[in-house]
Amino acid sequence: MALVHKLLNGTCILRKCPKPSVASYPFLGTRFADYCSSSLQKPAPVPGKASSQRKTEGDLQGHHQRDVALDITCPEEKPEVSFDKAIKDELKNHFWRLKDDIVNRWIGPEGRPLHEVLLEQARVVWKFRGKEDLDKWIVTSDKTIGGRSEAFLKMGKNNQSALLYGTLSSDTPQDGESSRSGYCAMISRIPRGPFERKRSYDWSQFNTLYLRVRGDGRPWMVNIREDTDIIQRKNQMYSYFMFTRGGPYWQDVKIPFSKFFFSNQGRIRDAQYQLLLDKFWRLGSPRSRCLHIWCLVSVHFLACSQPPSCCILMAEREQVLVFLLIKALIPS
Amino acid sequence: MNPLIFTTILMTVLLGTMIVMMSSHWLMIWIGFEMNLLAIIPILMKKYNPRTMEASTKYFLTQATASMLLMMAIIINLMHSGQWTIMKVFNPTASIIMTSALAMKLGLTPFHFWVPEVTQGISLTSGLILLTWQKLAPMSILYQISPSINLNILLTMAVLSILVGGWGGLNQTQLRKIMAYSSIAHMGWMTAVLAYNPTLTMLNMLIYIMMTLTMFMLFIHSSSTTTLSLSHTWNKTPLTTTLILITLLSMGGLPPLSGFMPKWMIIQELTKNSSIILPTLMAIMALLNLYFYMRLTYSTSLTMFPSTNNMKMKWQFETKRITLLPPLIVMSSLLLPLTPMLSILD
Repeated sequence: MALVHKLLNGTCILRKCPKPSVASYPFLGTRFADYCSSSLQKPAPVPGKASSQRKTEGDLQGHHQRDVALDITCPEEKPEVSFDKAIKDELKNHFWRLKDDIVNRWIGPEGRPLHEVLLEQARVVWKFRGKEDLDKWIVTSDKTIGGRSEAFLKMGKNNQSALLYGTLSSDTPQDGESSRSGYCAMISRIPRGPFERKRSYDWSQFNTLYLRVRGDGRPWMVNIREDTDIIQRKNQMYSYFMFTRGGPYWQDVKIPFSKFFFSNQGRIRDAQYQLLLDKFWRLGSPRSRCLHIWCLVSVHFLACSQPPSCCILMAEREQVLVFLLIKALIPS
Repeated sequence: MNPLIFTTILMTVLLGTMIVMMSSHWLMIWIGFEMNLLAIIPILMKKYNPRTMEASTKYFLTQATASMLLMMAIIINLMHSGQWTIMKVFNPTASIIMTSALAMKLGLTPFHFWVPEVTQGISLTSGLILLTWQKLAPMSILYQISPSINLNILLTMAVLSILVGGWGGLNQTQLRKIMAYSSIAHMGWMTAVLAYNPTLTMLNMLIYIMMTLTMFMLFIHSSSTTTLSLSHTWNKTPLTTTLILITLLSMGGLPPLSGFMPKWMIIQELTKNSSIILPTLMAIMALLNLYFYMRLTYSTSLTMFPSTNNMKMKWQFETKRITLLPPLIVMSSLLLPLTPMLSILD
């Protein structure tokens, strides 16, 4: 089955982003555990979709190396192409969001009362329950620079997770400049307000990134980028490694924000700075440095939390040097 | 930073402001602004990280633009009046450009966008200097050219600043941004009365500087930059919690605290000049500021927020001793009975 995957937000199809229901509950310490356990329940399979799922798995296993065009649309969804309707819907959507913005301002930060925001212990930021959740992510690979890697993102089984899969190829593009190649990544979209104003996440009351993933046993990286208004900070980001176990069981990965190390243009800086949590823009999870192989990771949800045991403010320089050593020793 | 170099830079900041306030030659005023700007940049970047670099860059770009506009207004004024001395600016174009330049320096609407971003990106001490000392120089020039400023533009900027300052601060959880929006609103009050009675502008400036100094010093004392960390001060210093309550209410303009004095005087002056709607609007919009101050007070002083193990971090650091804090707290809360003495300002 051909999959809808978007690198750029150029479609006329509008989907309303559902508000996270978990975020409306106070004291998320106990609620969060309930949420995690409830996600393990299998919903009843929808007849008709089972055959398409099996067909998808067959395609996945017997997938041959071929170039896949980026603008293939799923035959099940045929987007309506109507310019007038699209303009009207866009305007209506933006003014509706502006109204929500103004009304939510009276309620409190992010549309919730202040005491709820202050007492929050954990928040699920991204979860994968439907195709609209996939639209919040961009999948990219070195295909954009002329490489041969491919990556796709689709809903996993039972619509409870997302599956990032594809092929990594270290064949360098023949442009005379690149000496190394081979990466794929899923990157979150920048949050937008009404009229496409850029927003940022404020995670200042949390100190840990919490992911539930089921990987392929290979190391991945988690990158965080802050709101960058000026061009000098365009290539700066904070990174950390995520070592996946592989296997059939979900893996809970908790990364304190203090562990993230600062890098510029892909090089780790000698001077390390604290990751300031009030202006998050993007979260990305790339995988690179492989030969021609498959890569696969399932993501159940991504959240941020505030475990009481975590008190460190920033990565120490020695930690960064230890990670450099580990990276050199692990065979790619 | 090397203490000698830091002292030199700080002295340059002070000298720049003094030159602006005491000069009668437009070129010297411009030089004073530039000295002040160039010297404040290393102070803003004292605790270096990419965010402070971004904030300093934004501050430099906006202030440099304002200085360019100011120079353009000075030259237009020179072309029309033929002299460099500060006096009434006769040319309306020069007056409007100069007002815009000074509004940009002060952070008045619609040139206010840099204030929260820059204040949020720098340390508390640098933010303290930015929101207090850096307002003196442009306000002194506004005071001197007040007879020639277009009243419509001035009052529009003032009312919009009060509105934006109240509206923008509503949903903030970062304390520095709250103080930045508070600064925008207070600048609005100061400029609203500038055309009617400039002395009250100076009074408002003095009271505002005292209250802002007090608030920032309380934040530095408790090492708080977010509402959540401020709400945990009851755990370590309960007395500071009470003082935060009093100072915030004073900033909100509640009697019988000092912050009520400038608002009362300004409203009285405006009504004396047959302006009824304007002070009514200003008083209503000041309620927005009061709302977010009250919300901050509620979470800090009126409730005991549950503290987590993260709060043990605060106990690891020694409590900072700030010498000027007690007299500042007294002055920012108990000066209202001295209101009859305001006649000495005339």
